[in-house]
Amino acid sequence: MGTGRFRDADARMTGVILRADRGGHACNCPAACDKLYILSSMKNIRNFSIIAHIDHGKSTLADRLLEYTGALSEREMTDQVLDSMDLERERGITIKAHAVRLTYAADDGVLYVLNLIDTPGHVDFSYEVSRSLASCEGALLVVDASQGVEAQTLANAYHALEHHLEIIPVINKIDLPAADPQKTVTQIEETIGIDCSEAILASAKEGIGTKEILEAIVKRIPPPRGDDGEPLKALIFDSWFDNYQGVVVLVRVFEGRVRAGMRIRLTATGSVFEVSQVGVFLPKITQVPELSAGEVGYIVAGIKRVTDTKIGDTITDADRPTDEPCPGYKETKPLVFCGLYPTQAHQYENLRDALNKLRLNDSSFVYEPETSLALGFGFRCGFLGLLHMEIVKERLEREFDLALISTAPTVVYRVTHTNGSVSFIDNPALLPDRYETIEEPFVSATIFLPAEFIGPILDLCQEKRGVQTTFTYIGKDRVRIDYELPLNEILWDFYDRLKSLSKGYASMDYDFLGYRESRLVRLHILLNGETVDALSSIVHADRAYQKGRDLTEKLRDIIPRQMFEVVIQAAIGNKIIARESVRAIRKDVLAKCYGGDITRKRKLLEKQKEGKKKMKQFGRVELPQEAFLAVLKLK
Amino acid sequence: MTTIPRQMQRSGAQRRARESTAARITGSSRAVSSLYIHVPFCVKKCNYCDFFSVPFDESTAFAYTDALCRELKMKAHLAGSIETVYIGGGTPSLLPHACLSRLFRTLQRSYTLSETAEVTIETNPGTISGATIDLLLSRGVNRISVGVQSFDDAELRLLGRIHTADDATRTLSFLRKSGFNTISLDLMFGIPGQTLDSWRTSLARCLECAPTHLSCYELTLEEGTPFWNSVQKPPEDAIVDMYVHACDFCEHYGYGQYEISNFALSGHRCVHNLNYWRRGEYIGAGAGAHSFVGDTRSRNVRDIRSYIRHLAEGVAPEVDSAMLSPVESAREFLFLGLRTTDGIRIRDADALGLDLLRAAEELREGGFLEMRGTVLRMTRRGFAVSTAVLVHLLQNLGL
Repeated sequence: MGTGRFRDADARMTGVILRADRGGHACNCPAACDKLYILSSMKNIRNFSIIAHIDHGKSTLADRLLEYTGALSEREMTDQVLDSMDLERERGITIKAHAVRLTYAADDGVLYVLNLIDTPGHVDFSYEVSRSLASCEGALLVVDASQGVEAQTLANAYHALEHHLEIIPVINKIDLPAADPQKTVTQIEETIGIDCSEAILASAKEGIGTKEILEAIVKRIPPPRGDDGEPLKALIFDSWFDNYQGVVVLVRVFEGRVRAGMRIRLTATGSVFEVSQVGVFLPKITQVPELSAGEVGYIVAGIKRVTDTKIGDTITDADRPTDEPCPGYKETKPLVFCGLYPTQAHQYENLRDALNKLRLNDSSFVYEPETSLALGFGFRCGFLGLLHMEIVKERLEREFDLALISTAPTVVYRVTHTNGSVSFIDNPALLPDRYETIEEPFVSATIFLPAEFIGPILDLCQEKRGVQTTFTYIGKDRVRIDYELPLNEILWDFYDRLKSLSKGYASMDYDFLGYRESRLVRLHILLNGETVDALSSIVHADRAYQKGRDLTEKLRDIIPRQMFEVVIQAAIGNKIIARESVRAIRKDVLAKCYGGDITRKRKLLEKQKEGKKKMKQFGRVELPQEAFLAVLKLK
Repeated sequence: MTTIPRQMQRSGAQRRARESTAARITGSSRAVSSLYIHVPFCVKKCNYCDFFSVPFDESTAFAYTDALCRELKMKAHLAGSIETVYIGGGTPSLLPHACLSRLFRTLQRSYTLSETAEVTIETNPGTISGATIDLLLSRGVNRISVGVQSFDDAELRLLGRIHTADDATRTLSFLRKSGFNTISLDLMFGIPGQTLDSWRTSLARCLECAPTHLSCYELTLEEGTPFWNSVQKPPEDAIVDMYVHACDFCEHYGYGQYEISNFALSGHRCVHNLNYWRRGEYIGAGAGAHSFVGDTRSRNVRDIRSYIRHLAEGVAPEVDSAMLSPVESAREFLFLGLRTTDGIRIRDADALGLDLLRAAEELREGGFLEMRGTVLRMTRRGFAVSTAVLVHLLQNLGL
C-alpha cells in the first residue's frame, strides 16, 4: 500500500474516514473507492467479545451489530456471517475465532472503531478463548431470557473477569413468550456476581436493543491503552492457512506498530518473517497501511505453516524486540488421542491427504501413521479434547467423503520400563506387558455449581477418582469446589454428567497438573478368541472387573447379530474376566419374488451389501463403528 | 392354442423333461417361452398386500382386458413356442367370462402354445364358480394356485382375507374334482398372533385338501400397507420353528422342496417360476407386469388408467427399463440360482469368472451352503438366513 501518500497523521487526529481502494491507493475520493476503514485515535477504539452459551443468540447478535453499523449490506448478509464453516453452523459452535472491524457513529457525534473478536465456546478451546479475551477490554455477556444462566456462560464470564474485562450483560430473546428478563438479571447477579442494573434487554432476532448495545460498548468499555512508539508487541489469538496468502495471523497490537516491509519475530519459535501485508476484516479482508497499538487486525508474512504461529505467542519487531512478551502464553499439547482408520483400506492415501489439508489450518491437532492388527493402516491423532476430535472426524467424513473408524480416545501415559527408560504411550495397545511404573496425567478441575447439587456432584468426582482440594461457598447458594482428577476420567462422560446432575448449572474448567503414578492395567477385548487391539483400554485396577463386565455387555448390545455366533471376552493379561455372546441370526429369508420382480430383490441385496461397507470386518465378525467407542459409554 | 382335455394327466417323466428344458442360466437370444399376465383386480385388498391391485369393477375390467390383449399382440413377435403361461393377480378368476374368453382367444391367435405348456391361473377361495372352472379347463388352464394363506379363521380375519377356512376347504375339494393337473396352495407363516400350533394345524388341514404343490411364504410387512408399523409378528425363533416345521412336514408327506418357499409332489414343480430363478426370459403383460427379454429387465406402468391409455394410443406401457450390467447379471445368477435346491453348477460360475468355491468356503464350513456333486446349494439352515448368506457371498466375490 502506498503509505507515502497517505495522510495518516491528519486522519489520526481528526478521526476522519478515509476511503482506500484495493490497489493500495488511498484518497478522499468517494467515486473511485469502495472500501471503508478508519484510522482513529486510540480513545475511539473499543475491543470486545461476545460471551454466550450455545444457542443463546451470539451469532445472531453479531449479525445485527454488523448490519446496524453497515459493515454488511442486507444483500450481503447470509445469516450468521461469523460462523463461516457449515459444521460450525450446524453444531451451533464457533470453532475459529474471527475479528471484525465495525465503524459506529455514536450519539456523542464521534465515529468509533469497534473490533468484535469472536470466541469459540467449548472447554476444549478454553485456552483459545482466554487468548481472545486477553485481546479485549470488554465483553457482552449474552444470556437467553427464556433459559437463564447456563454452565458455559459462567465459565467464560469467569474467564472475562480474570482478564479484568468490562462486562455488559445483555438479556437476549426478550421477545419469546417464555422470557423472564427480571429473573435472568437476578440470576446473573447471584451466580456471576456482577452488577446488572444497566443490563440491556434485547432481541437479536427482532433487532431490539442493538443500538443500546452499541452505545454501551462505546460508553462503558474502556479504550485500549498502549504506546505506538514502543517496540512492537502483538498477541496472536488466531491463525489459519490461506491457499493464496499462506498463514494469516490475527493479532491484537498492544504496543508499537506493524506495517508491510517490517521484519517480525515470533517469540516462541524465534523465527523471523517479513510482513507483506496487514489489514482488517470489514468483514471482507481489507488491507490497511499499518496496525498500531490498540488495534486488532491480521498480518500476512509469508509464513508457511500454522504450527509456527502459536496462539498466545507474541509478535515483535525483529530489529527492536520488546522486553516483555504478552503474558499467559502456553504451548498447547494434544491431550486426547485416538486412532483414525479408513473402513476401506484403499482410502488410506485419501485419509492421509485429508489430514494434511486439515492440519494446514489447525495447528492444535497432530497425527502420525500407525498400524493396527484389527484395523490395518491408519493414523494416531491427537486433539485438544473430545469435541475437537469429533469436529475433526466429522470434517474428514464430510469434506473429504471418507468413511472412518475411530478408536476410543485415550490420554497419554508415561511408562517407566524395567530398564529405566521412559516412554509416552498414546495407544493402549502399545502398553508393554511388563514395566516398572505407569503414570497418568492429572488435572486440577474447578467446578462452580449451585449448592443444591453438591451431593451428586461430589459423588461423581469421587467415582472419577477425584481428590478434593478446596470447597468454598460463594454467596449463600453457590459453591466452588476444586478437585484433582485423572484426565482419563473426565475426558469421557464427565462433562455431560456434570451438566445433567446440575441441570446444566455447573461449570467446569481444568488445567493440566502433571503426571502421577497410578495402579493401571490394560483391559483387552477378544472376539471369538482373538484380541482386537483397537478395543484395548487402560483402566484403573480397582475398576477393571466392573469395566470388563460393562464393556462386554455394551459390545453385546452394539454388535449386530450375524451369521456366526460372536463370543466377546474381556481379559486382563491372560485372565478372562467377563464373557458375553451375540447369538447368530437364525432368520433372514430372502422373500418371494412377486410376479417376476427380480430387480427389487437385487436392489435389496445391493443395499444391504452397501450398508456393510460401514462395518469393519474382523475375521468372521463385523464390527460397527460404535463398537470402537463402546468404552466411552461405560459409567 | 392347444386345448387340453381335462382328463388328460401328463406323466411325471414328461413334466421333468420340460422342467429341465427351462434350465438355462442366461437369457439367450432365442425366442421367449414364458408369459406372465397380470390381472390387478381383487374383491378387497388384504392388509399385508403391497402388490398392485384395485377393487373389481366390470367396466374397468373390460377396458383392461382390451388393453391387455393389445399388449399381448404387440409383444407376440418376441415369443417362440410358449412353454409356460402364468395368469396372476390380484384375483384373475374374478374376470367376467367374456373377458377370460377374449384373453384366451388372443393367446390362441397371437401365440403358439406348446402341447405340454404349463398354464397357471391364480384364484382365491370363494371367488371361483363351477362355470369359471369349466371355462378355464376348456381353454387349457392346467394349473391353479389358490391363495389360502391360513386355515385359522382368526388369522384370516386379521390378514383381511374375505374367506374362511371352510370356504378354502370347499373350494379346494371342488377344484380337486374338476381335473386340474396341478393344484397349488399358498400358505403364510409369521402372521401376527400365529403360533407353531396354529401353523401345524394349517399345514395338516392343507394336507386334507391334497394339493400337488405348496408354497409357504413368510409374511413380510411392507411399507404403505395397513400392517406396516401396526402389527407385531411372532418372535423370530418362533418363525424359524414354523419354517423348519414346514420343511419337515412337506418332506414327510412327499412334497419335495425345490426352492426356499416351494414344495411339490414329483412332477409338479412350477415350471414358470423355475424359469424366473434360472434367469430365463419372460414376457410380462398387464399393469405393473415385469418382463425380461435379452439382457433387459423392464416394468409396465402400474396405474391401470395410465396402462389402458398407453395401449389405446398404441404406446408400449413400459416405464422402467434397464439393461443389466455384467455385474448385475452375475448377482442375479447367484441369488436366483441359490434360491432353488438345484443350486448353482460350479462350472457355470467358472464360466462367469466367479471363484464360487473359494467364496463359499466359510459359508460351507458354517453349514449354510453345501456341495452336492458339482453343484453348490443352500442348506435348510442357509435358506433360513438366505439374505445374509447371499450378501456375504456377494461380498466375498467382490460383486
